[in-house]
Amino acid sequence: MSSRELLSFRLNGHPVEVPCPSPRVLLDLLREDLRLTGTKRGCDLGTCGCCAVLVDGRPTLSCLTLARLVDGRSVETIEGVSPPRGLNPVQAAFVAHGATQCGFCTPGFVVTATALLRSNPRPSRAEIERAISGNLCRCTGYIKIIEAIEDAARTEE
Amino acid sequence: MHLDPFELHRPTTVDEVVRLATELAGRFDYLAGGTDLLPNYKMHLNAKPHLVALEDVRELRGHSDSRLGAMERLADLEADRTFGRTHPGLTDAIGEVATPLVRSSGTVGGNLLVDTRCFFFNQSYFWRSSLGFCLKADGDRCHVVPQAERCYATFSGDLAPALLVLDAEVEVAGPSGRRRLPLGALYDPGGDGIRRTRLAPGDLLVAVHLPPGPPGRRARYKKLRVRPSYDFPELGVAVAGAWDSERVRSLRLAVGGVETLPRRFDDLTDPLVGTPLTPEAVNRLADEVQRRVRPVHNTFLPPDYRRRMVGVYVRRAFAEAREGSAG
Ligand SMILES: Cc1cc2nc3c(=O)[nH]c(=O)nc-3n(C[C@H](O)[C@H](O)[C@H](O)COP(=O)(O)OP(=O)(O)OC[C@H]3O[C@@H](n4cnc5c(N)ncnc54)[C@H](O)[C@@H]3O)c2cc1C
Ligand code: SF4
Ligand code: FES
Ligand code: FES
Repeated sequence: MSSRELLSFRLNGHPVEVPCPSPRVLLDLLREDLRLTGTKRGCDLGTCGCCAVLVDGRPTLSCLTLARLVDGRSVETIEGVSPPRGLNPVQAAFVAHGATQCGFCTPGFVVTATALLRSNPRPSRAEIERAISGNLCRCTGYIKIIEAIEDAARTEE
Repeated sequence: MHLDPFELHRPTTVDEVVRLATELAGRFDYLAGGTDLLPNYKMHLNAKPHLVALEDVRELRGHSDSRLGAMERLADLEADRTFGRTHPGLTDAIGEVATPLVRSSGTVGGNLLVDTRCFFFNQSYFWRSSLGFCLKADGDRCHVVPQAERCYATFSGDLAPALLVLDAEVEVAGPSGRRRLPLGALYDPGGDGIRRTRLAPGDLLVAVHLPPGPPGRRARYKKLRVRPSYDFPELGVAVAGAWDSERVRSLRLAVGGVETLPRRFDDLTDPLVGTPLTPEAVNRLADEVQRRVRPVHNTFLPPDYRRRMVGVYVRRAFAEAREGSAG
C-alpha cells in the first residue's frame, strides 16, 4: 500500500477521491484537505463530541477514525445533514430555542441528534439526554439543547 | 495533534491477521475501534510503526447469547434489548463505558485490552518530558511508587469485571492454532504492570464465550466515576450468582479500576456457597475485599476514598443485583 493511496468514499452523497496517507484522521481530512470546516476540532481525543460525523449512518468521532478506514463508505457531515437551502428540523429547533451560544459544539450536537431522530423518531427526554451525553457544551447548560431536540422530534412527525 | 507515520494493514481473515502479527511481532498494534489506541498515539505513547486494522475481519464481528465477537461494537450490544434483558450485570457495564459516541466505535476486545491509566502517563509528550517521563513510556522511573521495576497504572476497563463474574472465556488465535482460556487467565499478575496479559506475539483475541449460568442467576455492575456520563472507572464492582436468604448456590465477585489488573475474589466467595446470604455475610465480604485492594494515587480520586468506596459498592451491588429475564 503506498502511503498516498487514493481514498474514495461518498461524502454528503457525492463520490470523492482524495490522496490520503495512513496516519490522517477523518477530521483532518475533512477540515484540512476537503475544506469542510463545519465539523469542529475540540479536544482531538474523543472527549467532546464536536467532531461527530455519520459513517454509514452511524455517529462516529472523526478525530478517532483513520480516514483510510472510510474507504468505500458513506460519510455525512454537518454540511450534509443540512438541506441545500434552509435548515433541517433539528437546526431550526436549535435556532428557535436559543440552544446555541458560542456555537462551537452545535455541529456535533446537530449531527448526534439527527442520527438519534432517524433511528428513534420519538425519543423520551431520558433517551435524548443519554444520546447527547458524549457531546460537551460549555455555554448553554444543555436544557435548551434538550428542549430543542424534543421539539424537533415533535415537528418532524 | 498528529499521528506519527505508520503503515496500515487491512487483513480480512483471522489466519491472515495471525500471519501478519507473527511477522511484525513487537513492531505493531492491533487497531479495533481505536478509541483507546488513537488518543494514546496522538500523545506519542508507545506508538508503533505498523497498525493492523481488524475492521475487515468478518469472523470477529457479531454476537449471540453465548458469544461476543472481539470486534463487536459496544453500541450494537447496547442496542440489542433482548441481550440486555438476559445479561443484566454485563449490560450495566456496557452502558457505562465512556459515552455513546465512543461506544459507537469501541469494541469488546478493545475494552478487555484497554491500556492502563495513570495521571503521569495519559499526558502530552511535552507534559511528560518535563518530569523526565516514566517507566511505562520513554522513562526509567515511576512517579507514583518511586522505584524502577514496576508500573502501577490502573486497569480502567468496565467489561472485564462484569465478564469475570460470568465465568467468561476468551478465544485466542495464535501461530499454533486456537485456544480457549478463562478470562481471568488472560491477565498476568506476574508481569511488571506494563506487560499485563498472557497473549504471546502473534496472538489475537477472537471472541468472548459466555457459558450458561445457574438458573436464577442475578448480576450487577456498579461503577464509581467522577462525571457519570463520561469518565473511566475509579472503581468497578461486579457480582453475579444465584442466592436467596436460605442459601447461596453460586457466587462470584470481581473488582476493577483500583489496581493494575481486574481481580476476582473466589477465595472469599467460595466458602459462602451453601450458607445463607445474610446482611452480616455481605458486610463481612465487603469489608474483606475493601481491606485487600491496593489503589495508588494515580487517578482523579484519592486512593483512600476509592478504597473506602469498595465496601460501599460491594454492598450496593448485592442490594441491586437482578435476575436476567428471558426474551
Ligand atoms: C473519552 C473516553 C472515555 C472513555 N471511557 C471509558 C470508560 O469509562 N470505560 C472503559 O472501559 N473504557 C473507556 N474508554 C476507553 C475505550 O473507549 C474503551 O475501552 C473501548 O471499548 C476500547 O475499544 P476499542 O475497540 O476502541 O479499542 P482500541 O483502541 O482499538 O484498542 C485497545 C487496545 O486493545 C488492543 N486490541 C483491540 N482488539 C484486539 C484484539 N481483538 N486482539 C488483540 N488485541 C486487541 C489494541 O491493540 C489496543 O492495544 C474511554 C475512551 C475515551 C476516548
Ligand atoms: S504508575 Fe508509575 S510507571 Fe506506571 S504510568 Fe504511572 S508513573 Fe508511569
Ligand atoms: S474533537 Fe473529537 S471528540 Fe473532541
Ligand atoms: S454553545 Fe458554546 S460550547 Fe455549546
